[in-house]
Parts: sequence; structure tokens; C-alpha cells
Amino acid sequence: MSDAVTLTIPHARSYYGVVHLVVGGLAARLDLSYDALDDVQVALDALLETDAYAGGPDVTVEIGLADGGLDLTVGPLEPGALARGLGRDSEESGVGLARLLETLTTGFEVERRDGGDWVRMRKSVPGVSGSGG
Amino acid sequence: MRATDKNDKELLRRYHQRGDLEARERLIEQYLPLVRSLARRYSYRGELLEDLVQVGCIGLIKAIDRFDVERGVELTTYATPNIIGEIKRYFRDKGWSVRVPRGLQELNVRLSRLMEELTVQLERSPTIAELAKAAGVEEEDVLEALETGQAYATLSLSAPSGGEEGDDLDPLESLGQLEHEYEVSEDRAVLAPGLKVLDDRERRILHLRFFDGLTQSQIAQQVGISQMHVSRLIRRALEKIRDEIAVEPEEATGNGVSPG
Repeated sequence: MSDAVTLTIPHARSYYGVVHLVVGGLAARLDLSYDALDDVQVALDALLETDAYAGGPDVTVEIGLADGGLDLTVGPLEPGALARGLGRDSEESGVGLARLLETLTTGFEVERRDGGDWVRMRKSVPGVSGSGG
Repeated sequence: MRATDKNDKELLRRYHQRGDLEARERLIEQYLPLVRSLARRYSYRGELLEDLVQVGCIGLIKAIDRFDVERGVELTTYATPNIIGEIKRYFRDKGWSVRVPRGLQELNVRLSRLMEELTVQLERSPTIAELAKAAGVEEEDVLEALETGQAYATLSLSAPSGGEEGDDLDPLESLGQLEHEYEVSEDRAVLAPGLKVLDDRERRILHLRFFDGLTQSQIAQQVGISQMHVSRLIRRALEKIRDEIAVEPEEATGNGVSPG
């Protein structure tokens, strides 16, 4: 079972804050630490800064509360553009998108939907009672 | 020296020494992504973006026209403050400024302190609920105040220190929490192109976070600054890298844009 909020925003930095607030609001329900929340926000911004959105001037962010974590999906990106970005970035920047997402999230994947690429990433809440460890 | 830089210098020479206007045109095109990236940072309304891109282009053109090829500085380094300066002037001429309600600013400063206290007390990073309780405000207020701090972080990634333009647009700098360095030194040339635009502290923090895998609160302890400051530095460093690599031509795709 999961609760989800979907936001479609103009692809402009001024709207990232709106997404941050919604992500924060959902993270608060999960009792995510500030550390973890900020990780998610930084990962999200890195994705939003990618210059390959296929959906015109808008970007869609889906934020889901699945058990024990936050699920974010961002898109639609031009098919293949992200794979290119993931490779190119790491050479150029030293801290590329792939390294960022690997460090900041519990896991991420690229999925194809309606002819566009969507990045789905997950942040699990550490130490939540349940599957101890 | 990387390919783009060499290419830039070549185009700049053609323009400055031989008055080749096509070379100037190509430079402008090449740096348009940088202008867009910077304009996006300041466009708090969607419709503002195109205006800011236009204005930013003026800054870019000025930078190209005034650039001294012999100075051993990359065009990006020189153009970025010019573009931002022009955008800020636009805001100032319009009489707009980026201001945040006083209450949120104060709450942000208070939260930074509480976050440190709670991190020590709980031996982990606090949750939003814990911060709200400690500050005696609603969770929504906490989120909004934290967001306010981040908005400052991106806005203050801007002109060189001592710049004459629109310093009023940088509330965080006026709070004295961020210093800005624009240095170009030899040793950076050996790093990945993106990393050499960072100062030593930014590079160290990125390394601790992304290569050593420390959390923000662990970095805060080790470096001796607040976690919020770590968060801002990480964002600022990543933005600098993004701006730096934004001007790279997309060689991988093999379909370079050629005019005409």
C-alpha cells in the first residue's frame, strides 16, 4: 500500500522549492532524519538540473510513501539522454550524476514509460522497526 | 588544457585579432547553456526565465568582448560573474529584490543551532518533528525555514567578492555565513574539469560525502561547521560543477549544432 503525491511544475528553479516542501512534508510522516531528507533534496535537484526533459516546459515529480521509505520518480526525459548524462558526467565533473544518486539514495533505476525515460529513486528509512538489522 | 578551452581561445583570437564576427557568434552559441543555467537559478517565476536569458546574454557578450586572451583564465570563469552581474542589475533596475520574510530567516538561524544541539544529544541527525518540537513551531514552519536557507545557498553562488553589483541580493552573504572565493590555481588543472572550479574546502567536503561516504552530520563534526553549512556547501559545489560542465559541447551525440 502506498500514498502518493504527483506534482507537475514548470522546469524552473524557482519551483524546485515547491517540490522540496512537498517532499519534506511526506518525509516528516516517515520520520526521516534531516540528513536523509537533505540527501533526497540534493539528489532531486541534480535530476531536475538535467537539461534533457522531453515534456516541454514542465517536469513531473511523483513522490510516494511506500513502507519504510520514500519513492521519487522524475521525468519524462528524452530517451537515452540520462544514460548519456550518467556516463559523461562522471568523467567531466568528478562527482557525476551516477555517483550522486548512488551515494544519496538507497537505489535508483531508469524506466521507460510513454516514450520517455523516468528516473525512480528510493530512500529507505534506516533503523525503522521491522526488518531489523 | 581541455578541448573546449583550446577551442574557445582559438575563437576568441579570431574575433579579437581579426574581427571575425562568426567566431563571436559561435562563442555566444556555445555559452548559451551556461546563460540558461544561471538564468534558471534566478527565475522565481516561469515567465521570467526568457527575460533573464536575454539579459544574461548581454553579460555574456560583454564578457566575450572584453576578454583578455593572454590572461590565462578560462572564459567560463570570466563570463559567469559577468552574466550574473547583468541579471542582478536587471533585478535592481526593476526595483525587485530577493527578500525573505524576517521570521523565516530567524527561524532558519535558530534551527541551525537546534540541529547541532539535537545531533549531539540524540547522537544522530534529528527528524523534522523533533526540530519542530524543539523550536516550538509546526513542522511546516520548519520545512519552510529550511527551504529558505537553501534558496539563499543557490542565490549566493554568484559574483566575485567585492563585486559592485547588487550585493543586496545576497542575504546570506550579508549574514556573514558564506564567503566566496574565485580563484584559479595551477594545481586544479590535474583534477577532473568540474572539480577544479571548487575551492579546497568544497572539494574536501564533496570527497568526504561522495567518496568516503560520511553523512552530513558526520562531516559537520569533522570539519567543525554546522550541518546546515555543510548542506549549503555541498549544493554550492555541485552547482559550480554543473555550471562548469554545462558549456561542454555534446561530442558524445555526434550531432553538433552548426549554424545555417
